[in-house]
Amino acid sequence: MSRHRGAVRAAVAGVLLLTAGCSSVEPRVPGCDEAARLALVAQSVPTSSYVPCLRALPTGWSVTGFDAARGGTSFELLSDRADGRPVEVRLQRRCSTTGASPEPPRTAGGRTYLLLHSISPRYTGMLLDVFPGGCVTYRFDFARGSHLALMEELFATVDLLPRRQLRLELRRDLDIELGP
Amino acid sequence: MAAVAAVLMLAAALGSDPILQVVTGLDIAVLRALSRLRTGPGIDLAEGVAALGSDVVVRTVAWVTLAVLVVTRRWRHLVGYVVITLTTTLVVTELALALGRPRPTDVLVLGSWDGYSFPSRPVAATALVLVAALLTVVPAGSRRVWGAMGVTGLVAAVAVARLYLAVDHPSDVVAGAVLGALLPLAAFRLFTPDDVFPVTYRRPTGAHLELSHPRHQAIVRALDQQLGLAVESVELFGLAGSAGSTPLRLGVRAADGTRGDLFGKLYAVNHLRSDRWYKLGRTVLYGRLEDEKPFSTVRRLVEYEDHLLRLLRDAGLPTPAPHGFVEITPEREYLVVMEFFDGARELGGEPVGVSEIDSGLRVVRQLWEAGVAHRDIKPSNLLVRDGQVLLIDVAFATVRPTPWRQAVDLANMMLVLALGSSAEAVYRRALRQFAADDIAEAFAASRSVTVPSQLRNRLRAEAPDLIAELRALAPQREPVTIQLWSVRRVVVTGGLVVALLLAAGLMAAYARLAGLA
Repeated sequence: MSRHRGAVRAAVAGVLLLTAGCSSVEPRVPGCDEAARLALVAQSVPTSSYVPCLRALPTGWSVTGFDAARGGTSFELLSDRADGRPVEVRLQRRCSTTGASPEPPRTAGGRTYLLLHSISPRYTGMLLDVFPGGCVTYRFDFARGSHLALMEELFATVDLLPRRQLRLELRRDLDIELGP
Repeated sequence: MAAVAAVLMLAAALGSDPILQVVTGLDIAVLRALSRLRTGPGIDLAEGVAALGSDVVVRTVAWVTLAVLVVTRRWRHLVGYVVITLTTTLVVTELALALGRPRPTDVLVLGSWDGYSFPSRPVAATALVLVAALLTVVPAGSRRVWGAMGVTGLVAAVAVARLYLAVDHPSDVVAGAVLGALLPLAAFRLFTPDDVFPVTYRRPTGAHLELSHPRHQAIVRALDQQLGLAVESVELFGLAGSAGSTPLRLGVRAADGTRGDLFGKLYAVNHLRSDRWYKLGRTVLYGRLEDEKPFSTVRRLVEYEDHLLRLLRDAGLPTPAPHGFVEITPEREYLVVMEFFDGARELGGEPVGVSEIDSGLRVVRQLWEAGVAHRDIKPSNLLVRDGQVLLIDVAFATVRPTPWRQAVDLANMMLVLALGSSAEAVYRRALRQFAADDIAEAFAASRSVTVPSQLRNRLRAEAPDLIAELRALAPQREPVTIQLWSVRRVVVTGGLVVALLLAAGLMAAYARLAGLA
């Protein structure tokens, strides 16, 4: 009887260990149609008039990190052509545009800047979307050659959802009032 | 477990928008009511209390608990702790990701937060580390009851503080507390029930077993049925001098009604493990000094000791007369029974006279002639009665030893005798039974590692120069090297290094997965 109980305990422990060991907590960035999850991103910078979100990931891209906390949200996107160097996307209250060149704006009422650190042998730098109440930065480090396609795919993947629109969706679908 | 199931059902239900709306509505109503009670000092206090659930505090409690479990060598509790902290952390993280619930809305959130709201990770982590610490570190009884009340109070305080600051919904903190507290509670009840694996800090020296009532009864029954001995009393005896077994004094009544004592050595699986680790350690540190092969079973160990007792008695050595051995639990616990040297005292407790010196040296001479080495000659294994030295604890003895091992026996015997007399007196008497070259070889082979720890400690405290004095008296001789390299030593050492690296890697992976890094 005691041997039977011991076997049961060992089996339970084994299953628990296997479950724990085999589980990998996959980071997941909220999609632009996931209002409830996006609310958390919006809450991280309550003043931000835009919220970064993901459209469908292109082939070869994956999410390698996601962290939303009071004060900001960051996530990492990695392309299988980026030599293991992910793009770091960060939403924060404000950011410095010193030394950055203006680019065509990606948001209504906002501005977009590009700050290049090098163009050869690697294309590295930071793109900034600045809008009322917040900004989103994209730090990239691509091999020269594939960088044009990767930049295009990145901006097709990360979209900026107006906070106003998100508030309406939350009120309509979940009866949640997103402040402020 | 019903509460845990209820939380999991609630989590599943919150995946449905209508239920989420209802629960969130109730949650927000509570948070609004609490927010109306906010004051400046109240907010400061709540922030301080909520910090008790911070990562720094949780990690500190977890690492301290792990350290206590390692130091107290409660391996089963340690494994349970690792499994349950890993499992609970992953359950909480997966639930949070699956549900993706935002922080409270419509209420001003005042405290810091990180990640999705349901279940509350800080409340779950606080409950988890505190409950797990309570069940693995605090002994059962009133202390644990008081501890449980303290843990409940702390977790409740952190939960209320987080609600006051509106960083969590009420349903988040309830789910976090239930998962964090009840999962470890259920797991430890299953894997380390208190009646089988009690948390205790009464640690006997060496590898001694507790003489519990059931064990006492089993010993009496086994001695009666297997050796026909009517045992009247069983008591622990001379624990300080024995690290490899549990020594017992057995009060026995003979058929004619007279009462006498026998000596018993209780061996169990833990003694076997101690023997294995001891020999493994010596193999790694010094190479193969001698036969370092461990015994495969407890039965083999007691069979060997019983055999050695008979062999040495037949060789005329003053060792205890064997009375056989009994099986207490098949393949787990055995008791070797032998003569009890009544009226004998430990050698070296009082000044050692010439007759005792001669008698002690004669014991070594007889061992040499019998082709046996005792391998553990130290004060607690040498008794004196009526000026005669008696030799006990022959479990480590070996037949057909190397000359080096025999020389070490002589050196250790001379050191014990000289502790109670003088180097010169012992050397002079030794020359009557041994050649000067034998004595020179003995002290050329003598090193710190060859001296049993009890004798080494006494030498350090009472006569730190004794080895040098005896070596100086004997003819000059080159020291005998004891560092021996072999394929086995290299493989064992390499294996140990790999095992340690693997353990460190597993620990790092565990710390990362359990959020402790």
